[in-house]
Amino acid sequence: MSHSQNKSAALMQGVIIFIYLTALTILEYFVAVAFDAVPLLIVVAIAKAALVLYYFMHIYKLNETDSDTNHDSYAYKTITNRLGLWLFLLSDSFVFAGLLVMRSNLLGLTRPELNQVLGLGVTAVLLISSFFMNRGELLMAHGDVKGFMRNTVITFILGLGFLLGVVLLEWRIAAHEGLTADFGNPVTGPVGGVFYMMTGMHAFHVFTGLIFLAVVWNNARKGLYTAEQHWGVEAAAVYWHFVDLVWIFFYPALYLIGTAVSAH
Amino acid sequence: MQHFVIVGILVIITTVLTYLGLDVAGLAKQQHPVAASLQSAPIDQLWHWEMIVISFLFALIVVPMMYSLVVFRQKKGEMKDGEHMEGNTTLEVAWTVIPLFIVVIFAYLGGWSLGEVNRVDPQALVINVRGAQFAWTFEYPEYGIVSNELHLPVDRQVVLKMTSSDVIHSFWVPEFRLKQDVVPGRITEYRVTPTLIGDYKVRCAELCGTSHAYMENPIIVNTQADYDAWIIEQTEIAQQLAQTPEGQGRLLAVRNGCLGCHSLDGTPGTGPTWFNLFGKQENLDDGTAILVDEAYLAESILNPNAKIVAGFTSPSVMPAFVFTDEEIANIIAYIQTLK
Amino acid sequence: MKKFFTSALFKGLVWQVIGFFIGASLVTGIRALMGLSTTDTFFFTEPAWVLGSFIGAISFLVGCGVTDDWIKWARGIETHDEHEEHWHGWEKFINVSFDHKVIGIQYTLIALALLAIGGTFALIFRTELAASQLQFLTTEFQLFGQNGPQLYNTLMSLHGIVMIISILLGISGIINYAVPLLIGAADMSFPRLNAFSYWIAVPAAVTLISSLFLGGFDTGWTGYPPLSSRAPVGMQMFFMGVFIAGWSSILGALNVVVTVIRMRAKGMAAMKMPIFVWASLATSIIAMTATQFIGLAFQLVMFQRLFGMGFFDPSKGGNPVLFQHLFWFYSHPAVYVFILPGLGVISELLPVFVRKPLYGYRWIAMSSIGIALVGFVVWAHHMFTSGMNEYLRVPFMYSTLLVSVPTGVKFFSWVATMWKGKISTPTPMLFVLGAIIVFLMGGLSGPPHATVSTDLHLHDTYFVVGHFHDTIFGGFVFPFFAAIYYWFPKATGRRMSEFWGKVHFWLMTPSFFVLTFGMMYVGLLGMRRRIADYDPALGLDTAHLVLTIGAFLIALSVLIFFINFFYSIKNGEKAEGNIWESRSPEWQVPSPMSLHNYPTPIEVVGEPYDYGLKDAPYTRFAPASKGKGKH
Ligand code: HEA
Ligand code: HEA
Ligand code: HEC
Ligand code: CUA
Ligand SMILES: [Cu+2]
Repeated sequence: MSHSQNKSAALMQGVIIFIYLTALTILEYFVAVAFDAVPLLIVVAIAKAALVLYYFMHIYKLNETDSDTNHDSYAYKTITNRLGLWLFLLSDSFVFAGLLVMRSNLLGLTRPELNQVLGLGVTAVLLISSFFMNRGELLMAHGDVKGFMRNTVITFILGLGFLLGVVLLEWRIAAHEGLTADFGNPVTGPVGGVFYMMTGMHAFHVFTGLIFLAVVWNNARKGLYTAEQHWGVEAAAVYWHFVDLVWIFFYPALYLIGTAVSAH
Repeated sequence: MQHFVIVGILVIITTVLTYLGLDVAGLAKQQHPVAASLQSAPIDQLWHWEMIVISFLFALIVVPMMYSLVVFRQKKGEMKDGEHMEGNTTLEVAWTVIPLFIVVIFAYLGGWSLGEVNRVDPQALVINVRGAQFAWTFEYPEYGIVSNELHLPVDRQVVLKMTSSDVIHSFWVPEFRLKQDVVPGRITEYRVTPTLIGDYKVRCAELCGTSHAYMENPIIVNTQADYDAWIIEQTEIAQQLAQTPEGQGRLLAVRNGCLGCHSLDGTPGTGPTWFNLFGKQENLDDGTAILVDEAYLAESILNPNAKIVAGFTSPSVMPAFVFTDEEIANIIAYIQTLK
Repeated sequence: MKKFFTSALFKGLVWQVIGFFIGASLVTGIRALMGLSTTDTFFFTEPAWVLGSFIGAISFLVGCGVTDDWIKWARGIETHDEHEEHWHGWEKFINVSFDHKVIGIQYTLIALALLAIGGTFALIFRTELAASQLQFLTTEFQLFGQNGPQLYNTLMSLHGIVMIISILLGISGIINYAVPLLIGAADMSFPRLNAFSYWIAVPAAVTLISSLFLGGFDTGWTGYPPLSSRAPVGMQMFFMGVFIAGWSSILGALNVVVTVIRMRAKGMAAMKMPIFVWASLATSIIAMTATQFIGLAFQLVMFQRLFGMGFFDPSKGGNPVLFQHLFWFYSHPAVYVFILPGLGVISELLPVFVRKPLYGYRWIAMSSIGIALVGFVVWAHHMFTSGMNEYLRVPFMYSTLLVSVPTGVKFFSWVATMWKGKISTPTPMLFVLGAIIVFLMGGLSGPPHATVSTDLHLHDTYFVVGHFHDTIFGGFVFPFFAAIYYWFPKATGRRMSEFWGKVHFWLMTPSFFVLTFGMMYVGLLGMRRRIADYDPALGLDTAHLVLTIGAFLIALSVLIFFINFFYSIKNGEKAEGNIWESRSPEWQVPSPMSLHNYPTPIEVVGEPYDYGLKDAPYTRFAPASKGKGKH
């Protein structure tokens, strides 16, 4: 099913997509700093999301037709499971859409005053973790269990770094600057609440993603996955990229769009 | 064919009967409660049209159903299938497009009616309204009058600028046909032109807590002359009150909606009555009793949860108010006069 | 009895209590360390109640055993896909089963239980409403930390939400039972997820009802802040209960969509699916997506209460109207979630009892999807008076009125189906007919709300209450009863008594007309919603008394149904064949169905509703040679 040429091309593709994503993120940051153009930021975010959806999450796989019509076969079940997972993500994205609606209604063109370096830093960490996740999944698809486990560990560490970066550093710093959960006033809007709610909900998803990664890592260690049969790995990867996808929208929404209001 | 003729006749008869039935119940032309505002005319008109169409649509569905049920019934012991009809595209397009047509007409009429209701008179009289659990307060900004009764001159548009001090309320006068929510933190407008002299009530229509049912204040629509007289009388009273501390206390109590919960004549309400309050021994819910003096009153007003009167729920339903020392003193002075 | 104490239900409940105490003590302990208060009116502090109830619900799920297989998977242990039954008789229904038929019945039973509870609440507050002034729910009256009028509000609000959850579980019941049978599948796509969706509803219901004992909540089922950010702890239990129940809805719906896409019998093209499957699909699409919004909205208020976040608090720059948008973005589509399966049941049963094909199958199928899609863009019609942007009201009026068109298509098709049919009227058909008329009354009372200016008068009056009892009864309650009478023999091999079924119908229908017509009548005359006491000057005392009598007659009829239902399980007349002469595949095999439904896979060879055509079957059993191991 797989031969090495194919594999290195796929790995190369991962690198190229990652470079695109990095470039877009840097562009995004400077667009925001330089001319505060909200529509442009939205376009960039959508472009990034499209790249992730297609090249990392392989959304096109939903189109796959059954090679095996036996309802009990692994192949048939995988396609069913995949549909279920994507529908779940569709459902879940309504939560995040709701949060974005809330944010734009309550804060409009203002945003919390946050540590930009840290923001860009955690964003980069999450992005890089997606790169390694993709690499891990590719290796698994080519039967390289060891490679998969190695990359998953890296993903896990980066993911943990993101989580701690947000919850321990960013929240601490923000609270220290006066941005507490109950902060808000009729002029600035409830910035504190919005910030903690959005990052918190996202962090919760990162947290569940980490558990998921740990589980598939452990099962890979037990040798439960093969090049042909590794639905668990695919699911964990898609979920992980989804969490990244959400952040692609949350990062500009919290850090880049609008003018910063400080709690002082 | 014969079936269609009979059903057609029956549909017409049923439509008429349904409409007449609604009319007898007083619902077709919406005669009750009486229409007392200019705005109610386009609303009642639209309603009337709707009832005619609804009577027809009701008949259109129910009559052929009942007819089939009676005429095409499976006879006893019969086990036959009906005719094999799967559908008819023309018919299906018709019953999609015709309702679509009706719907667009009604949406248009709805827009027309709303436009009439929203018609703005730049000369409108402005009155500020504050909703608070569980009473309404009306302020006439031009005259400095604050009142718990809304007096309006007939045939003149008023615009009520409404806001709430606590939760969402809704300003509804059934006779005016109009309703508008009153939301804390923003000002909503209610435009109405009363056309019928009489006494009405504003009834709060949005659930706002325990005594939501009783959040009703009188509305008095009067001739311009009577209204002017009332304004003059109230202006004088307001001026007099502003001169004494207890008078200012009374104004504060009215303005902040205290009297929505506290009666002045001993009748029980959401809160304890203020009648004969000062100087009495008040029983608290922890079983102790306390003498009602200045300090206790001040604490009760600024921090209602500090001591709860026996028989009332904890935490107190009374919101915490913010007053200056002078205002507190005035309110207490006012309460002292209530003997 | 011993069997009860070892059942999953009992274990789950015990674990829920234990989990609650663990969560509550955890919060209390942390608060003690931080030097915060540790007790409150209802012993625990509010955060302790919230976390406790959440952990309680999770403990229930782990404790009852639905998650066992998943935990095994996570640990890399294989499980058997073949789910043999360990339980017999009634024990099946209080233990974890992965069989969609059992789960369907479990859903139905819990829905009926909640219907009885919610209905009883209604009877209590209806009694108070029988006359103006306060009779027994007076201000002196005290129960569960609430005085009379507060208790009225709690009962009324709980009535609303308990009934709504009951509907959501009821439709899951019919869908779960019927859809796999109708599409010829052996089970749902994800049997474990299916069981999970059911079991999660049990702790949700417990949490929800616990609200009554924790000071209640006096906001109505809509829970608008700022009122809901001030209500007692019971409010949190309401939010938490609905939030958890929402997951049942979301996961169940997801499963249905996947099942319909992936598990259809050979040859069952989209336009050959039984019409009820279309309805289930449409409903599930809404439930799967929009539900997240109410979950989010409720979570935001919960956090506002717990952490002082200011989302809906004007003094912190929050916006109370935003909550209403988030809430109705779900709750309006939700009303179509309630009715689409019911209307599907009507379309499914009508041809059977009319002995004629369903008229305009394609249009009916598409109208379900149409209602679902248009239903997403009408939510603000609940907010015409809310103070939202004025100009938004006109577009929402148009979109709302537009829903009438696909709904009308259904009505006209039903009438055309009946026309020249050979109609017979056993109990299920009676309820179908009742459903059509009642839903028509409800539906036609919709447009007067939709045209903005009339709604300025009608909003928050009993006219609205009448409108939605009609739509809900017509779109859900009547079809639900029809479905139970119709599929009861399939599930049990016995039928319910026709005589008592007819008594049920003829008692319930007229009383119901009286109830809702009366509601609309008093509403127009100025009766507001959600009040325990009304002004005697309105002159509505007699009307209200009649309404209350109507309510009790409905309850009596439902009681008759309950007795008939439970009696017939054991003692009903035997009915193992195709008693309704239906063409549907599930009736081509003897009742009750065996564990994996069809002995051999079925294959679609015709149209579903070709009544009146000789020798044109809908399905047949696939020739044995082709039947690749399906189980
Ligand atoms: C089961 C549920 C259900 C259904 C199906 C509907 C259906 C409809 N509803 Fe209803 N509604 C509720 C449940 C439901 N509703 C509930 C629970 C509330 C109150 C919530 C609360 O505040 O607590 C509510 C409240 C509500 C309001 C807000 C009222 C207010 O609070 O001010 C409005 C306003 O537009 C409305 C409109 C409609 C319309 C236009 C339809 C349409 O879908 C109806 C379409 C059907 C027909 C019109 C009949 C058949 C059609 C024909 C015969 C074709 C020809 C017809 C025409 C050309 C008109 N509903
Ligand atoms: C499924 C939905 C559903 C159903 C079935 C009903 C059923 C009934 N409802 Fe409804 N109702 C709502 C949904 C529903 N309701 C909603 C959503 C609200 C809005 C709440 C809000 O404003 O927030 C509402 C509000 C509401 C009000 C307005 C309250 C107010 O605004 O103050 C009223 C008033 O009369 C009322 C009455 C009734 C009555 C008399 C019944 C009767 O049909 C009830 C009949 C009785 C039974 C069905 C019980 C029968 C069972 C037994 C007698 C026991 C048998 C026991 C065992 C076998 C153990 N309801
Ligand atoms: C929402 C209803 C509500 C409003 C509005 C309200 N109160 Fe109260 N009040 C109560 C209740 C209930 C109590 C009894 C419980 C308690 O002791 O807190 C109370 C108690 C009091 C007491 C103590 C009375 C006693 O018998 O000991 C005073 C004084 C008082 N309120 C003053 C005020 C003033 C002044 C205002 C307006 C600025 C006001 N209240 C507005 C509900 C209200
Ligand atoms: Cu104010 Cu209800
Ligand atoms: Cu709606």
